[in-house]
Amino acid sequence: MIRIFKWGYLSLILALIYLPIAVLIVNSFNAAKYGNKWGGFSLQWYQKLFNNDALIEAALNSLTVSIVAASVATVIGTLAAVALHRYDFKGKGLLSSMVFVAMLTPEIVMAIALLIVFITLGISLGFVSLVIAHITFCLPFVIIAVYSRIKDFDMRMLSAAKDLGANELRTFWEVILPLILPAVLSGWLLSFTLSLDDVIVSAFVTGPSYEILPLKVYSMVKVGVSPEVNAISTLLLGISLVLVVVSQLLIKKDH
Amino acid sequence: MSIHSALRCCALLASLLAVGCAKEESSDQGATTAAKTTEKVVIYNWTEYIPAAVLEQFTEETGIEVEYATYESNEAMYAKLKLLNGSGYDIVVPSTYYLEKMRNEGLLQPIQKDKLQNYGNLDSTMLNKSYDPNNDYSVPYLWGSTAIAVNTQDIDPNTITQWSDLWKPELSGKLMIMDDVRDIMAVGLTVAGYKDNTTSEEEVQAGYEALKELWPSIKVINSDSPKTPLIQGNASVGVMWNGEAYMAQQEMGSIAFIYPSDGAILWVDSFVIPKGASNVDNAHRFIDFMLRAESAKAAIEELGYAAPNTAAKDLLDDELKNNKIIFPDAEDIARGTIHQDLGESVLLYEKYWEMLKAGR
Repeated sequence: MIRIFKWGYLSLILALIYLPIAVLIVNSFNAAKYGNKWGGFSLQWYQKLFNNDALIEAALNSLTVSIVAASVATVIGTLAAVALHRYDFKGKGLLSSMVFVAMLTPEIVMAIALLIVFITLGISLGFVSLVIAHITFCLPFVIIAVYSRIKDFDMRMLSAAKDLGANELRTFWEVILPLILPAVLSGWLLSFTLSLDDVIVSAFVTGPSYEILPLKVYSMVKVGVSPEVNAISTLLLGISLVLVVVSQLLIKKDH
Repeated sequence: MSIHSALRCCALLASLLAVGCAKEESSDQGATTAAKTTEKVVIYNWTEYIPAAVLEQFTEETGIEVEYATYESNEAMYAKLKLLNGSGYDIVVPSTYYLEKMRNEGLLQPIQKDKLQNYGNLDSTMLNKSYDPNNDYSVPYLWGSTAIAVNTQDIDPNTITQWSDLWKPELSGKLMIMDDVRDIMAVGLTVAGYKDNTTSEEEVQAGYEALKELWPSIKVINSDSPKTPLIQGNASVGVMWNGEAYMAQQEMGSIAFIYPSDGAILWVDSFVIPKGASNVDNAHRFIDFMLRAESAKAAIEELGYAAPNTAAKDLLDDELKNNKIIFPDAEDIARGTIHQDLGESVLLYEKYWEMLKAGR
């Protein structure tokens, strides 16, 4: 009885999470335009999508920005987390609480603040401003993911490394990094997802030369969201799935 | 090579690549902007609100590249343009009351009509409106209306002739409205016997009281795709844009669109040139291109909204030309109301709208 309940509960939650995505995937192959009925299997939306250069370009731009921003944020965030844990310096407490402040700041506030900074500094709006902004809002998530992992590990390992003659760099490279790698990877994935579907910050800090996908999709409300969006979302979902699976495999192999 | 070192190399490589990419991208972006400064036009608009084929043809004919950036609401567009102080974009397509607001705040520059050879194609009934008398700052692109769409399988369309018919008890639970404060408050004001655009608190409150009675009969509130509840049968009557109703009619023939006798709500989206635009000449060439009968025809056919372009209307198929959803009768247009910029008073509307939505 309890078992049935447990499985029922679990499937209910999984259904709530995955049903909308499943509907989207099914509709991307649906010949009917409004998805209220099944009009037969069709690849026409994919065909249309591949002729829609603007949408494809926006999707590629989105992927580029997300990968670059997530990678840079991961490097900076990991180093920051290590520093926050290992070293004592002035303003350390302030710095670590500021990480939370950055995470709690409403997106719209951050968006306008960043735009004002870019205007003041004369940075032209486009790829560069977009990446800087995305790194900014991804950073706290990486720091927190990595920091919580570092916190738990045995400090004696570091003493041992020192004992065996490893310098700081080598200790980081051969001892710390391998131990925190899963956290670093999940920090990267988290940043990647956050960056990929951000609308509010991106709307403000990007320029006309660099359009990204979420913005394009949101701006379709005037004429109706076209079914090609289902197709491109399905493709993006595929890419993200591959990324997740690969990272999980890497972590598993490691242990 | 162990998996550790492989991964570490990957991480290092990725970060190096990231930095490299960033540099490369920025440098070639710089190069392209430098090369294109005289040969591009930057449009800030809703996604796919200008047919892609028309944009391509413009580039082919003139050699001017089109950069097309998008926004998802008038509000977002206004906020960004205000912060950039009217620079960065050459053409923007605001709706009436935002146009008025931007004009009043000096964010726009005058249109040089002598550069627009096709200006004569425009339908004079859509010119010289209160939001921009003489059209000194704007050229209308597309216009449409908010009125009542009905599924005739469910409801006899002859029973609905004016806004107050939505209050009939038999429509209870079958009604859909859009999440649009100005449109719906305008309906409430009309039914309460006042005019849209009023700034008197008592009148707005009377509109709110009227809507409050309607509220329990509303089944769906939808702004993203108002046609969908109607097509899917969740609602039988909907307050929506005519373009949406047109698309719904294409999908199922039983949709009728009714222009209430006490006045539909009309909106116009117009081309404007922000005051800080850097390619003013190209912007004029683009507007002139869009005023051509063929371009306007393509926009009408693809988007289902009317272009105020008499020359284009002559080119349309009879079926489209005579479709009352897209091209209402002159009397319906004359009865229609247009939202004006209310300045601070818009907060009054917002206040009562929020009260309605919160169920108070």
